[in-house]
Amino acid sequence: MGESSEDIDQMFSTLLGEMDLLTQSLGVDTLPPPDPNPPRAEFNYSVGFKDLNESLNALEDQDLDALMADLVADISEAEQRTIQAQKESSQNQHHSASLQASNFSGAASLGYGTNVAATGISQYEDDLPPPPADPVLDLPLPPPPPEPLSQEEEEAQAKADKIKLALEKLKEAKVKKLVVKVHMNDNSTKSLMVDERQLARDVLDNLFEKTHCDCNVDWCLYEIYPELQIERFFEDHENVVEVLSDWTRDTENKILFLEKEEKYAVFKNPQNFYLDNRGKKESKETNEKMNAKNKESLLEESFCGTSIIVPELEGALYLKEDGKKSWKRRYFLLRASGIYYVPKGKTKTSRDLACFIQFENVNIYYGTQHKMKYKAPTDYCFVLKHPQIQKESQYIKYLCCDDARTLNQWVMGIRIAKYGKTLYDNYQRAVAKAGLASRWTNLGTVNAAAPAQPSTGPKTGTTQPNGQIPQATHSVSAVLQEAQRHAETSKDKKPALGNHHPAVPRAPHAPKSSLPPPPPVRRSSDTSGSPAMPPKAKGIGGGGLPAPPDDFLPPPPPPPPLDDPELPPPPPDFMEPPPDFVPPPPPSYAGTAGSELPPPPPPPPPAPAPVPDSARPPPAVAKRPPVPPKRQENPGHPGGAGGGEQDFMSDLMKALQKKRGNVS
Amino acid sequence: MAGMKTASGDYIDSSWELRVFVGEEDPEAESVTLRVTGESHIGGVLLKIVEQINRKQDWSDHAIWWEQKRQWLLQTHWTLDKYGILADARLFFGPQHRPVILRLPNRRALRLRASFSQPLFQAVAAICRLLSIRHPEELSLLRAPEKKEKKKKEKEPEEELYDLSKVVLAGGVAPALFRGMPAHFSDSAQTEACYHMLSRPQPPPDPLLLQRLPRPSSLSDKTQLHSRWLDSSRCLMQQGIKAGDALWLRFKYYSFFDLDPKTDPVRLTQLYEQARWDLLLEEIDCTEEEMMVFAALQYHINKLSQSGEVGEPAGTDPGLDDLDVALSNLEVKLEGSAPTDVLDSLTTIPELKDHLRIFRPRKLTLKGYRQHWVVFKETTLSYYKSQDEAPGDPIQQLNLKGCEVVPDVNVSGQKFCIKLLVPSPEGMSEIYLRCQDEQQYAHWMAGCRLASKGRTMADSSYSSEVQAILAFLSLQRTGSGGQGNHPHGPDASAEGLNPYGLVAPRFQRKFKAKQLTPRILEAHQNVAQLSLAEAQLRFIQAWQSLPDFGISYVMVRFKGSRKDEILGIANNRLIRIDLAVGDVVKTWRFSNMRQWNVNWDIRQVAIEFDEHINVAFSCVSASCRIVHEYIGGYIFLSTRERARGEELDEDLFLQLTGGHEAF
Repeated sequence: MGESSEDIDQMFSTLLGEMDLLTQSLGVDTLPPPDPNPPRAEFNYSVGFKDLNESLNALEDQDLDALMADLVADISEAEQRTIQAQKESSQNQHHSASLQASNFSGAASLGYGTNVAATGISQYEDDLPPPPADPVLDLPLPPPPPEPLSQEEEEAQAKADKIKLALEKLKEAKVKKLVVKVHMNDNSTKSLMVDERQLARDVLDNLFEKTHCDCNVDWCLYEIYPELQIERFFEDHENVVEVLSDWTRDTENKILFLEKEEKYAVFKNPQNFYLDNRGKKESKETNEKMNAKNKESLLEESFCGTSIIVPELEGALYLKEDGKKSWKRRYFLLRASGIYYVPKGKTKTSRDLACFIQFENVNIYYGTQHKMKYKAPTDYCFVLKHPQIQKESQYIKYLCCDDARTLNQWVMGIRIAKYGKTLYDNYQRAVAKAGLASRWTNLGTVNAAAPAQPSTGPKTGTTQPNGQIPQATHSVSAVLQEAQRHAETSKDKKPALGNHHPAVPRAPHAPKSSLPPPPPVRRSSDTSGSPAMPPKAKGIGGGGLPAPPDDFLPPPPPPPPLDDPELPPPPPDFMEPPPDFVPPPPPSYAGTAGSELPPPPPPPPPAPAPVPDSARPPPAVAKRPPVPPKRQENPGHPGGAGGGEQDFMSDLMKALQKKRGNVS
Repeated sequence: MAGMKTASGDYIDSSWELRVFVGEEDPEAESVTLRVTGESHIGGVLLKIVEQINRKQDWSDHAIWWEQKRQWLLQTHWTLDKYGILADARLFFGPQHRPVILRLPNRRALRLRASFSQPLFQAVAAICRLLSIRHPEELSLLRAPEKKEKKKKEKEPEEELYDLSKVVLAGGVAPALFRGMPAHFSDSAQTEACYHMLSRPQPPPDPLLLQRLPRPSSLSDKTQLHSRWLDSSRCLMQQGIKAGDALWLRFKYYSFFDLDPKTDPVRLTQLYEQARWDLLLEEIDCTEEEMMVFAALQYHINKLSQSGEVGEPAGTDPGLDDLDVALSNLEVKLEGSAPTDVLDSLTTIPELKDHLRIFRPRKLTLKGYRQHWVVFKETTLSYYKSQDEAPGDPIQQLNLKGCEVVPDVNVSGQKFCIKLLVPSPEGMSEIYLRCQDEQQYAHWMAGCRLASKGRTMADSSYSSEVQAILAFLSLQRTGSGGQGNHPHGPDASAEGLNPYGLVAPRFQRKFKAKQLTPRILEAHQNVAQLSLAEAQLRFIQAWQSLPDFGISYVMVRFKGSRKDEILGIANNRLIRIDLAVGDVVKTWRFSNMRQWNVNWDIRQVAIEFDEHINVAFSCVSASCRIVHEYIGGYIFLSTRERARGEELDEDLFLQLTGGHEAF
């Protein structure tokens, strides 16, 4: 029991962290946003689905929850925006506010992607600092300076303004998210949200956590164009959303998650690419024997010098003639600057070579079954095309090799020429990840025994066998739930108190750690700083003694009445921002109140509250039901441990609520 | 002690007379005669010589050179007996450091004092320290080729000779920086100029000169150079170099360790120069596309170094500080996603609107250019039938992100076209924009280029891009005057740069200047934003990426073979190359090498590789010492580690490269 209560404890603290986050993002909203119109329509767009509905249905519930959380945040933001817009039309100094909000939602979505609570939080940490800082910057010295100032020596001022603007810009760069359907090895699919900042590496990491595969370096994201019958792996440094945005809406293209040993073959056996003496058998044999040390030095030599070395590669390949199904044999050479061929009647000295293609604007793909489709001499084809081209076109170049070995050499050679050292960096990161993962799974097996016990749910989230997502999402959804419950029960006002518990621990340490990363701060304090927490948690797990929180409860009482009518999430925010954002909010209140800004934080909430209040809970509730069934659908996981876990989560929340309610 | 004699004048000790010439191997030099015995120490002899000369002078650098044995007598505690010196020895008492004319990798001549008594390895290290080039082990000296008499008369006099012979460097310590250059350069205006010559790239050479300079026409020509390397383990004096001789300083080993633009301005520049000359003189071959990139980089580097923007990133106003740079970077990142109304003043994205003639090549169409109203905003190009219809839907809208932009310009023909290859799911769509004049062209072209990289005209580089295009157009105007194969004279002003000075002569023959310019311009767009050091580094990297990079060719004859073949020596391998065809026959890597031996008598190098592969060859074009030193040198260079910094294990080097002269 001792262990499980500790787990509860921890889970609770993560929950609190999540809550902070949510509330913060909402809290920022309360500042008057400038333009009411900007729709967040670009928000979602799905890949691999016929329409958005389908994609939403296919989303795992956790993702759905996450999505919900986003939407909720958006709605409230939008509402407030419109309200503000009515109240005061020309107030452009608070742009940052809304921008922050969007930034936050972006951060949150990132968090959903990463399942481990720790990383999730650390990401928040990364994302958070700017916003808190910003209000500080923003409010005390708002735009007024730039305009009316004496022009002369205010350059410094102008510079500061520029910084501000830049920061704002940074924030308003809205984060685009895609719901992507990824096809797994076993013909099942998984849907996940990919945000536009994520690289293939991030998505892979995400998938590792979802699938609990062995995380070896061969795993890759793989794109397939059924129409063109071409495919290729994403390089780990590629931005996934960017690649996907080249696809057409009605595309049949697919993303796969699978192991391809070709991906990093060159780093495992560099000799096959660098020392292959034009396919002579004798060399092949000796190559097999290359020892690890020699391989390493060969790699070092090829990739770690001032410039990387592209494997020497040349030979006769078949080239498909434009628009025809005939193939011409030509002698091609690979150089760092592109692929060249030997024109008729010329020698293969550098000066005679003619450039066939350069790599800046093309990606390399494997061609599948081109023997059938294009009457290629063999099935060992590769294709070069601009990533944006999606249909048959004369601008697509088809080449055909004699055998698989040659094909792999060319594809790898071209990748090395195109990506250079990045490829090696990617590999090293993949290796590091694989190493880390193996350690994690070791840890995981220890924990794996626990999942049966609901109490360890959150902790083992990372290593859940059924590939369920993350407690990060769990907790978010749980928070939402909780919040909703508050909203529902808000009539009797009691839960409000309970609602404020989360804020409690924050108050003591907020001052010391000031602005930047609320969640982490609170974490550390939970585990080390405030001994009050464990007992509380234990109480919850065991039978309930919520007394300690009450001790900490000086701030809550006043706000509750205000908050409760308001939307569920906001309440905590109103509680928390003050201690959390220590500097910003006060000034904002003061400043706004003093100036023409009546609506600041407290007033607006009440107004919008009723509407969303009624509106919000239903969707969330509506979304809830599908949850359990879906989980059962998940392939090959009979127990539905994840489901149990989640149920446990909500149960726990209920229990918590009750207890709090009782106490207060 | 020596020279005791009786009253009758007979010497009673075993002393004898030793004649020593004062000066540098000049038979008519003054000489002194000393009375010495076999037990006399060299130190004592030196002292006596100075006493006899009886002149006030700093003799500290002087030492005795034994002509017959070709040897310096540097061990002052050794006796004459120990050296084996008898009365018939021809000894010269002269300075150890003597002036030489050093031909640098940038082809400039520099006079300085080099040590004639230390092994060349140390002498080169000292020279490099003076020139502030790190890692001297990568460089060495070559004998200057014998000059043909005729040409010498025309060219020699006009050349500027830099002089560093007066500069003395305190030994050992790395020179401190003063006013942005090593302190010893800041003594006088001349030395300062010398430092600029060393650390800044030289303007492109006169194309005519380029055509006249000897170029290797075959592999065997390329072996010539390598026969001239001096021996690292012996001193200059021993190798027959005389004071005032010309020597070439070159990077010998193509393994450049820890190249750092910040600490290596001279090294980087000289390396760039060597690479550039390698390419211009066709020592190394490259393709047309590669040559254009090299030419563009040279053009860019020259422009930067002439405008004095050393170390400044190109395209940024020197007044802008790092903050603005950071901001503009931010801007770059955020392009396209910002609603403009918020940050209007700073971020209004400029747009271009104008009447342009547009041509869309299609099959089965005879339509030519048609006038349209074209609006270019952010990265999107839209065109309308007329200006009135602009608010409505455009005829076509093209997002230029990721597109290819190709200039199609003929200045004398007043043709300013931009060819765009815009990718779309269906393939590439081709479209031509025809501008009226240079100004319009430059603005639209710059916009298209930025858009193709996903940036807008709000990007800080836009105006510099426009300027670069205009500059290039004017270049073309002057360049095209020559027409064909009669390139202009040395016109190296920033404006009228001759493109022929940027490419190897064979491209001079292949292209007219006006064909060359747009291609260089096209390549230039990818490098226009590099700083000087970055551009030099990029040039070096591109040079290193050439397949034939870093191969030193020697003509050899393999044991058991009847014909001469070429042995290529690179930093990691030996390559057997067919002399006639140039094909690679076989490659051996140093990592598989067990040992190598040199039989100095029959001039044969024997190498043993793993798995009992044995190779033996005799050297034809160069002495086997040179091959031996190359192999040993590369092995030595591969032992360098970052941790050890710049400290050199000279003994190891000499051990690996020397050993052939058993004294």
